Amino acid sequence: MLISYNWLRQYIDLPNSISVQDIADKLKLSTVEVEKIEYQGKYLDNIVVGKVASVQRHPNADKLNVCTVEFGEKYPVQIVCGGSNVREGMLVALAGLGAKVRWHGEGELVELKKVKIRDIESYGMICASTEIGLGEMFPLKDEKEILDLTVVGEKKVGQPLAKALDLDDAIFEIDNKSLSHRPDLWGHYGIAREVGVLFKKDLKEYKTSEIKPGKGINIKIDNQTKDLCYRYMSVAVDGVVVGPSPIWLQKSLMSVGVRPINNIVDITNYITCDLGQPMHAFDASKLTVKKDKLTFVIRRAQEGEKFTTLDDKEYTFDNNVLLVADEEKAVDIGGVMGGKNSEITHETKIVVFEAANFDATNIRKTSTKYGIRSDASMRFEKGQDPHNVELAMRRAIELLLEMCPQAKVVSNVADIKNFHLYQGPIEFDLNFLTKKIGKEIDHKEVVAILYRLGFSVEEKKNVMKIKIPTWRATKDISIAEDIVEEVARIYGFGNIESQLPIFSITPPEKNELRALERKIKDLVSLEHHFAESYNYSFVSPHILKLLDLNLEEHIELDNPIAKDRPYLRRSLIPNLLENIEKNIHSFDEVRLFEIGKVFWKEEVGEREWKGSDYLLPKQDTMWGVAYSAKGDKKPFFEVSHVVTTILQRLGLECTLESSTDHMASWFHPSRFAHVEVGGVRIGYIAELHPEKQTRFGIVSQVALSEIDLNSLLLLISFKSVYHRLSEYPEVMRDVAFVVHKTVLHTDVVKEIKAVDLLIGNVELFDVFEGENLGQNKKSLAYHITYVSKEKTLETADVDKIHAKLVKLLEQKFKAEVRK
Amino acid sequence: MKQQLEKLEQEFKKSISEVNDILKLDELYQRFFSRKSGEMSEIMKNLKELSGEARKEFGKLANQVKSELEEIYTKRKGELQQHEWGNILEKECIDITQPKLSVEPKGHLHPITLVQNDLEDLFTSMGFMVLDGPELESDYYNFEAVNITATHPARDMQDTFYIKGHNQGDVSNDQSPWVMRTHTSPNQARALEKYGAPLRMIVPGRCFRNEATDARHEHTLYQVEGMVIDKDINFSHLKAVLEVVAKHLYGQETLVRFRPKYYPFVEPGVNGEVTCSLCKGSGCRVCKQSGWLEIFGAGMTHPNVIKECGLDPKEYQGFAFGFGLDRLVMLKYGIDEIRVMKSGDLKFLNQF
Repeated sequence: MLISYNWLRQYIDLPNSISVQDIADKLKLSTVEVEKIEYQGKYLDNIVVGKVASVQRHPNADKLNVCTVEFGEKYPVQIVCGGSNVREGMLVALAGLGAKVRWHGEGELVELKKVKIRDIESYGMICASTEIGLGEMFPLKDEKEILDLTVVGEKKVGQPLAKALDLDDAIFEIDNKSLSHRPDLWGHYGIAREVGVLFKKDLKEYKTSEIKPGKGINIKIDNQTKDLCYRYMSVAVDGVVVGPSPIWLQKSLMSVGVRPINNIVDITNYITCDLGQPMHAFDASKLTVKKDKLTFVIRRAQEGEKFTTLDDKEYTFDNNVLLVADEEKAVDIGGVMGGKNSEITHETKIVVFEAANFDATNIRKTSTKYGIRSDASMRFEKGQDPHNVELAMRRAIELLLEMCPQAKVVSNVADIKNFHLYQGPIEFDLNFLTKKIGKEIDHKEVVAILYRLGFSVEEKKNVMKIKIPTWRATKDISIAEDIVEEVARIYGFGNIESQLPIFSITPPEKNELRALERKIKDLVSLEHHFAESYNYSFVSPHILKLLDLNLEEHIELDNPIAKDRPYLRRSLIPNLLENIEKNIHSFDEVRLFEIGKVFWKEEVGEREWKGSDYLLPKQDTMWGVAYSAKGDKKPFFEVSHVVTTILQRLGLECTLESSTDHMASWFHPSRFAHVEVGGVRIGYIAELHPEKQTRFGIVSQVALSEIDLNSLLLLISFKSVYHRLSEYPEVMRDVAFVVHKTVLHTDVVKEIKAVDLLIGNVELFDVFEGENLGQNKKSLAYHITYVSKEKTLETADVDKIHAKLVKLLEQKFKAEVRK
Repeated sequence: MKQQLEKLEQEFKKSISEVNDILKLDELYQRFFSRKSGEMSEIMKNLKELSGEARKEFGKLANQVKSELEEIYTKRKGELQQHEWGNILEKECIDITQPKLSVEPKGHLHPITLVQNDLEDLFTSMGFMVLDGPELESDYYNFEAVNITATHPARDMQDTFYIKGHNQGDVSNDQSPWVMRTHTSPNQARALEKYGAPLRMIVPGRCFRNEATDARHEHTLYQVEGMVIDKDINFSHLKAVLEVVAKHLYGQETLVRFRPKYYPFVEPGVNGEVTCSLCKGSGCRVCKQSGWLEIFGAGMTHPNVIKECGLDPKEYQGFAFGFGLDRLVMLKYGIDEIRVMKSGDLKFLNQF
């Protein structure tokens, strides 16, 4: 929202010692977000009013014209101009050499120099409003449009533009979001009140005089929706001449970015900007007036009712939309936008003004559902003070009668009210304030702040009874904490000294899951050189289909933003596979992991609310790993190494189970293992099925793992892993043998270890497959360490056990042992 | 024999003066003193031919000579070694700027993890618990419990992801609709319910907003929520705690300022700005020339939240705050494109 400094000064006396910047700074710290200040005329040095004397097509460019422009000197100047609307006789903003402009309203200011544009010399520039900082005042309708000064009336050619436009104002741009809970700040009067509080200046009264009812039209209001319309006021004025507004009004509107249209529309817009109370005007000749009786019916739309708004758009409404109708037809979407069928035109003679107050929520729903955002809806959806309805109507009638002295009120002053505001009083004492903010503020100062903000304070026995002003009572303020905020922000948050709280030194309860996550992240990245990826929790049906996953098993968003990712991930792997695909084209080796939550609809998690019988879906934290490297034909082993060694770091020995039950079809049928710790399944290690790998367009084989950290956490025991060192030397023997491919390493190790207690470590150091071994055969080679805790082993002892071991391998695994 | 010994002594002394490198010196030593075939050993073999006193005397003499010669050898060896070490400047010269060839790749933690860990450690050191909660949250915890009423704009479909089959119209009255949590604030309520007061906790976590993504906006974002509740926790405490965080992040000289801002779950509500860490407050592109960076929202916990969670707001009060983690990360590393954080692109990830 734009706020004019000059406009504010109508309501408070601001001495020159208070700069525009001071006002912005204080507003920022105590009230709203001032995004910027635009000083009018700031960029207008060397820019004058010019008059286009001639326009000729540029010989070398289709979209350019060569113009001569008069600027008060003897000879006009030649300018090459690309403006789509340039024409002879037009008054324009002429920037001479040395003037500073912003090309197309963007980037830095550039000083103009004599240039040749496609071989034609140009001695300056005919400017668009945005190029000279007047974009707010003269909004562009078309990207290529130059500023047409003809709209602001006759101007002396050659006059400096700043003077011609009387540009001595400063405009504050206020972030609308920062105003969302302050309905009272949506007009200049409200902001003026706030500035007055901040600088201890008195706010002038908003003076209006009572409307004298006239005769001719009897306006009746039939409010059928008392829950949606809280006040409706209507007055008709005859003898109106529709035409341009006086210059002061046009200027005021333009300064805050509103384009003047005609006196009637301008009055309603002015009051919207002034008080924050939107208004509307109908042409009485287009309303149904029967026997001098005009009845407004305020009702819900019928299901499917069609309506065409002022801006010529047709809508089909449901019955949540509030309409204002005459006896035959709807004429206005209450609080949002008027209808085409009753708009003011140059022929309008009798104007019927509407000032009303509507339910904020319903206005917001209508405006968002149908995408109709207007200055009115924006204000009403914040909850306006119904008392402003009357002020606005009075002011509108005053202005109209001022502009059209021959006009007069020809109706009753119709006004129906149907609201109750909670104005307190709120009981408040200073101890409460001190307890909340940690600082004592002087009683007098507190009262002064509240008083200027419009609160009235009555005191009995040290307890204040604070009455809320109507403009803060619609929803903004209702409890004592709200009063604390009012006092604290005006007093200044910066004036409250900070002080650390004092607590017992009880250490915080440890979050074991987070600790586990962090430990794993460190190990997998620092020890195993993986990079951590963060993927979306959403996954696309495309990816799920590539993996032949069942879409039905996934929780689905009702309103996904990206239509391509409507499902919640059940696994981290699909998105990690996407990462692999994306990276494997640029890197020979991709090692990625992610830790994050997944969503399982078939299992239950936390309660929906304390004591509820209903539970949210389970959302375990998973650790996913994906690895692929060009040339690595068995990436499985890299990932199984990572997973098993990290589990060892956590003090856990895991077993890899080759059982393929519960194995999804997107895994390689023989390169898959369940990861178990103490018999509990915590995840899997697998290679991606080559078919799916091809579908993903990944060139090399991919290995994956996913471990459920919530399950893992329950298994961690942190038991000691230290084994007493033997004082006696170890003896190492190797054994190499050929077995059938299906023989498992874990089985071999288990059997070898069972042979004798003196067998310590059993380490696989070579695996080999080759045609010379025979079909489906492999050769395994192990280092076997023999050690005793009681004595130095004799060769004979070791030989005996080793022979036993060899025999066992031959019997159990049909091994051909190399001797 | 005595003559043999004298000859050997002279021979050794002569040879050793001619030797110039350690290898040859050791060869020489072996030639004279090798236990099996050394010249000295040969002489000593003859010892058994002597008898009594003579044998004893000669033995003594031989040992004397041996230790004298060995001393010469050791001294010479020392000299040669000194000389050789003096040469390594040239002999063993390497290009110290050359990297080790064929190294293991490095691992990388995501920048959000790095900043999150840092904040977790800071808050833990101040006695805060680190909590988390469901990302798919009930409408109750996400909105109602934290004083966001049914008509609040935040509950519009434009801002919140709802779950199919669990929308308002789909569920019975005693069920709560499901949403993707729009902030970490539902955990204010969950934590108060579970732990009561006094409470000090933070909740780092992933949140979701139904808004179109561009260079500065993401539908998936990270927050760190914090809350302190006890009997006398007031606004000056809130200020101090957040000043600690700001100084931790941006240095001791960092200033913090608080400005009014509306959040339904606090009253008063503020947002917090710190002096721009890049320009130190003088104004630059990053802070849009203002000298200040907005990095958190905060306020005194609304009595409705405390009441809803089963505590008496007349007895307990406190504050809550929230940081946008993505923003902290982007500021810290100068990242100007938020979407790159969830791209899984190694060219990005490998930088951290």
